[in-house]
Amino acid sequence: MGKQYEIPLGAQHISLLEPLHFKFTTENERIVDTQANLFYVHRGIEAACCSKFKFRQVSFVVGRVCGLCSISHSTAYSQVAEKLVKIEIPRRAKYLRMLVIEMDRIHSHLLCLSHVAENSGYEALFMKTMQYREFVMELLEAVCGNRIQYDFSIVGGVTRDLKPMVAEIILKRLKIFLPQLDELMDIYKNNWTLSLKNKNAGAITRADAMRLNVVGPFARAAGLAVDVRNETEDLLPWKEVGFEMITETGGDAYARNILRLRELYISKRIIENIIHGLPESPLVTETKAFPDGEAVARIEAPRGELFYYAKGNKTQVLERLKIKAPTFSNVAAMVEALNGNEYGSAPAIIASFDPCLSCTAR
Amino acid sequence: MKKIETSLENLKNDIRQFYNPELNHFIVMNAVDLGEKMEVQWFFCDYAFPCEVTTFYALISPDAEIPDLREIVASAWVAESELVDLMNIKIEHTTKGFVLESDSESGPLRKKNNYGKAI
Repeated sequence: MGKQYEIPLGAQHISLLEPLHFKFTTENERIVDTQANLFYVHRGIEAACCSKFKFRQVSFVVGRVCGLCSISHSTAYSQVAEKLVKIEIPRRAKYLRMLVIEMDRIHSHLLCLSHVAENSGYEALFMKTMQYREFVMELLEAVCGNRIQYDFSIVGGVTRDLKPMVAEIILKRLKIFLPQLDELMDIYKNNWTLSLKNKNAGAITRADAMRLNVVGPFARAAGLAVDVRNETEDLLPWKEVGFEMITETGGDAYARNILRLRELYISKRIIENIIHGLPESPLVTETKAFPDGEAVARIEAPRGELFYYAKGNKTQVLERLKIKAPTFSNVAAMVEALNGNEYGSAPAIIASFDPCLSCTAR
Repeated sequence: MKKIETSLENLKNDIRQFYNPELNHFIVMNAVDLGEKMEVQWFFCDYAFPCEVTTFYALISPDAEIPDLREIVASAWVAESELVDLMNIKIEHTTKGFVLESDSESGPLRKKNNYGKAI
């Protein structure tokens, strides 16, 4: 038995762009114990949503919970508020929400993959992945008006329609993206250096994923078929637009890379199907009702299940809003998956978890 | 959403009988400050289509100690730690200092801290 050392990683670290702190206990360069702290940035958004803002304004506030899955937050909140005021949104608005969610998934997955490449020491692949991601940022701006904070989903529907010219551009750019995606798949799958760094790194079994209630790509890469898009269609008709469950079996950083790339093919297909089958209807259902009672909404954000609970009291201001981000569900598994790995692999493993502390410390 | 009332005495038994990691997963734990009382909630969801969210809830006094569920739900400690920090409630085997620093103001989501004050 070697001497044990405690090594901190974060809250500010060159390879961890999140205010998250890990304390590793290592022995002969191997992690034997991990502790996580999330207390660096608590922003009090839940409290603000129940005191400073009227319920219709909250979709804009929660859109700022996260820069990577802004649309998931504003859509999940809009859904829970729509349940409280008892309205159903127009069909076209549902399709447009799904369109932006899938475009957002493309940018988020590519961002995660680029960070894994960078933290694995593959700077050129980081730049290539970021370069290929840029088209979807431009398309999101064309659809929503913003690259990051979309302000697209509101209580009752969406703020903007999809212009025919923008729809055509999206279809054209997706055709250009397909060979780029094939190229990325080839590199992430077959590159010897990357495989060496990512295979068997940060692995978790299906049984552990189930035991620790893991969500999102982290769970699916371990073989646990869990995806909100597969579990409910009462709010958004995912199967109608071509959703397909993807799983991998390795459970390691390598499997998570491959899973995310495979999911991009599905996202591309969903976007094309939405554009080809976009129904005609208004964009918003108007109501003057105030939120009453309690409701929950779940949505599959790029990192997994995003959960909203809201309680109304027949006033403009909510009684309680609870946000459960996907990273929050994965903290317990992240801590366990790091144990047993070499300390040098920790940055790449953490990047492959795709943690979002902005969501978690909302 | 299906709501099932429980009590702190029956909580572990009720959850043990309901929760099967093969069939459903634990989403999160929540608390709503009702003033004199606190409604503590545990959310679960099926691995199925269509899925159903099941909520166990208990109405408790704010200074009561809640049993921890980590022997039944291995990942529950994360949600329990968060609630101790944000709602300033007592949960067995759970200390402050996970999502807020241990010397932070207690329970920022409690009504006595102006949370819920009308605009």
